[in-house]
Parts: sequence; C-alpha cells; structure tokens
Amino acid sequence: MNNGQRFASSALTIAEMEARKIRHDSTELWMRGVQPALWLLIFGEVFSTVRGLVPTGYSSYLQYLAPGVLAQSVLFIAIFYGITIVWERDVGLLTKLLSTPSPRLSVVVGKALAAGVRGVFQGIMIFALALIIGVQLRFDPLDVAGVFVVVVLFAMCFASFSMTLASLLKTRDRMMGIGQAITIPLFFASNAIYPVSLMPSWLQTISAVNPLSYVVNAMRAMLITGDYSGLPLDIFALLVSTLFFVACASVMLKRLIE
Amino acid sequence: MYPDGNRAVDDISFSVHEGEIFGLLGPNGAGKTTTIKMITTLARPTAGSVRVFGVDVQRSPQETRGMFGFVPQAISVDGDLTGYENLLIFAKLFFVDRTERKQRILDALEYFGLADKANVLVKRYSGGMMRRLEIAQALVNRPRILFLDEPSIGLDPYSKRQVTEQVKELNREFGTTILITTHDMAEADTLCDRLAIMNTGKIAVAGAPADLKRSVGGDVLTVRTSGGTVVGLPPGLGSVVSSDQGETKILVEDGEKAIPRLTEYFERAGAVVESVSLSRPTLDDVFMKYAKIGLQQEGTFREARSARRTIARHAR
Repeated sequence: MNNGQRFASSALTIAEMEARKIRHDSTELWMRGVQPALWLLIFGEVFSTVRGLVPTGYSSYLQYLAPGVLAQSVLFIAIFYGITIVWERDVGLLTKLLSTPSPRLSVVVGKALAAGVRGVFQGIMIFALALIIGVQLRFDPLDVAGVFVVVVLFAMCFASFSMTLASLLKTRDRMMGIGQAITIPLFFASNAIYPVSLMPSWLQTISAVNPLSYVVNAMRAMLITGDYSGLPLDIFALLVSTLFFVACASVMLKRLIE
Repeated sequence: MYPDGNRAVDDISFSVHEGEIFGLLGPNGAGKTTTIKMITTLARPTAGSVRVFGVDVQRSPQETRGMFGFVPQAISVDGDLTGYENLLIFAKLFFVDRTERKQRILDALEYFGLADKANVLVKRYSGGMMRRLEIAQALVNRPRILFLDEPSIGLDPYSKRQVTEQVKELNREFGTTILITTHDMAEADTLCDRLAIMNTGKIAVAGAPADLKRSVGGDVLTVRTSGGTVVGLPPGLGSVVSSDQGETKILVEDGEKAIPRLTEYFERAGAVVESVSLSRPTLDDVFMKYAKIGLQQEGTFREARSARRTIARHAR
C-alpha cells in the first residue's frame, strides 16, 4: 500500500469502528432524534402561525425550518464529539490509537468521519419525519445525495473543531460547558429558524460569517428552492473551514495524551 | 520534562537485548510510564535518543510504531465492540495484509483462550479477559517487541498468573522481546531476565534479578537459642546483624549450607538451638533499598487517579 492508500484505509477503519458501535447499540442515535423531532413538531407547528416568517419561495414555515433543524441537529452531534475523544483519552483508547503506525492526521479524519456517520443517521431520521408530517421537500436522488455530502462535511468540520477544543480543555466537564456556550449562539445567529432579513443588522453581520448559515443555505437550495446559484460559495466556505479545523485538530491532538 | 521544569525522566540509559524480558520497576511517579511513552513515540524526549532495533524513534516514528505492540496501563480495548472487532480494527490500523488478517485474529484469540468469546461485547468481559484481549490486540502486527505497562494492575491472583504465564510463553515460543513495567516484585522476579529499578526519573540499579538480590546482602538466618551465651561465629560464616534476647540474626552467604554448621557451633558452645529460620532476600528488599526515597515522596495525584480508575474499570 502506498501512503495515500494507507491514509484512506486508516481513516475509513476508524469510521468503521464507529459504525460498528452504532450497530451494536443504536439507543443513543434514536435519543438524538427526539430533539429535532420536537423542533419540527412543536416549535415548527407553533411558529407556522406567525406571519412574515416564511420568505418568498417557500410554501410553509415547516418547509423553511426542516433544513435548519437538520443542520442544527448535526451541529449538536459534532460539537460534542470532543467529549468522546476526551473519554477515549481517559480510558486509554486514544493512546492505543496513536501508537499504531496509522498517520495521526488519518486518526483525526477518521474520527471526524465517524461524526459524519452519526450525522447521516440524523439526516435519515429527519427526512423520514418530514415525509410523515408532509413537509414538501424535493426528493431528487442527486439533491439528497448532495445534502448528505454537506451533512458529512459539516459534521467533520465541527467535530474537528470540537477535537481541537478538547485538546486544549482536556476535561469532559469543560467540554460540556463550552459546547453549550457555542451551539446556542451559533444556532440563533444563523438562518436556521428565521430568515436573515428579520435580524438586526449586527446579527446579520455575524450570520454572514457563521458556517451554519452556509450549510443551511446549501441544504435549502438542494431540498427546496432548487436555486444553485449560491451553492458553490456555500460548499467552498464549508470546505475551507473543514480543512482548517481538521488541520488544527491533527496538530493539537497529541496534547491530549501528553 | 514538564513545563514547570520538573523532570519525569532524567538522563537514563539502558538497553534491552533482543529476545529477553526486561522489567522496568519503580515506585509510583518514578518515570516508568514516561519512559515507555518516549520509546513508543507518544512523548518526545527533550534530549537524547531512543532506538528500536536500530531505528531512531524520533526520526521515523511511523516505522517504529509498526514494529512494536503496546499495552498501555489503562484499558485500551473498546467495550462497545466485540473481541473480534477490537482485533480487526487494530489489524487494519497496523496494515496487516487482508489475506492474513482473519487467520491472525483467530490465532491470537485462540492463543489467549478467548476464541469462544470472540463475538461477545468486550464490556461483558472480566478484567482478566480484557487484559488478555489487549495483549492479543498488541500482537496482531506480529511485533518484534512488546511493551506492557503494568499488565497485572487490578487483576486477581488467578488472572494475574494467567497473564504472566502467557507473557512468558510468548517470549519462549516466538522469541518476542518484552519490556514490562510492574509494581509486583514476585511477578518481576519470575518473569524478567533482567530488570532496572527507576526512582525519581533515574535508573537506580539494573541487572539480573538473582544478581540484584545478591547485592542487597546474602541470606539471613534467625537463630533462637536458650541457655549459654554464644560469643562469635564460626570463622568465615558471616556476620551478626542483631542479637536480642536469645534471638540472633546472622547474615550469611549461603543459608542452607550454613544451618548445620551454625547449629553445631552453637551447641558446642553450650546453647540449645530452639529454631533456625532462613530468609532470603527478595526483589522486595532490592526495591525497598533503591526506591526508598521515591516512596516517601508520594506519586502524583494524576497517576494515582489513573491507576485507580484502571482498577475500577477492570473490576466492573
């Protein structure tokens, strides 16, 4: 095997580890589905009665909200992924992983992909729910595949960010705290649950640099509007931040075991 | 070296011969684990070099990692996967050839008596089984050298013996070089060809167990006598360590041979020998002599915590 093959093989193996764990026990996965379901069924239903929340081009608030809830639920999984890493450090698994000849970068990419695997399941659950409650989405195979690519990239991006934080903070308690402190502002300063046009101008500025907004934009383009004009920028922004955080995490990760 | 200038390991030098079992002993916080971490590329030494089979560890970390198997102190198998899966993942991470993978995993599980538990989730394993699985996992890449960081920690005597036996067997059968750290002196004595005792980041003493034991003094005979006073000892037998109310402790070269001579001498002097007991130095004595300073200064909280946690997890 050459270096590239080795890299890919290691990263996929680490993601496979996660998939196998999910296969043995999928309870957590189902529990994770509760929150987005509540957002859609309760928050979505209540706010669909509010006028002015639905921008032109959308048939209902639920339709507008569904991609936002998907992005948010993936964000929640990814941002707390660092806790898993701290836990693996605490029990000794991480030391073991880093003592294999697999390159460190592939360990980070593999772990990030593992978060992506979980994200994909969120996607499936939310799609299923959307079908059941009759949210109109364009279920074009290519678009759906595109959404899953975005989901995986987005999960990788924030899982790497979370691993970087974990390397600095080093304890699970701190990670819980910082995770909460980051997700809520990110969520509210994005276009996930309301259009940017309703925001005060300072919040609009923040939203413009918020990766979550780009992800939600991309998902809405593929699932609802079919307007791909903004898509290249969205994907580009997402790719750049993913690469940046993967690089950060792979540089920082060794601090966790020292 | 820690950022505060505290040296966990300070200027040590030792070599492990190919095919031997080498023990690294020392009190908590002596620097054993740090030493292993440096050899296994998990920590960088601030100065000096480590070579594994001629390969410079710092210069080619990836190549080094391919040559060894490592069982860290803490649990390193994933409880949420089966025994087979744990080995499979590591075989893949070690780039074991696809065609050989399955057979090697099955062999390793068989060797460690875990074949019938291969498809059981590891969280349902006992502590001893987990330890054996960890060693099996460290063997999937057929390492030339195996690092075991306190393999017997938290195990009951039976599991401990089982692990010890298997490590020994492994060394005998496949000639795998083994570097082991332990607190258990009896284990070190039966297992190791040579060992080094570390203390406060330095190597206090190194050598074969038998030589080390000899170095802390010979055998001690405790003789209980009544009636008559004994003055002196037969020439060349040894020296009196203490004498108190008819109980005399005598340091001799070879205890078993000294007993008849001593009894005869005492009885000729008019004393009645009531009992003679022989105590030979153990590695404990060697350890106490060289590790004394370190035991007074306590191990770090973090180390104690991680050791306890390991025990707790093993016990679960």
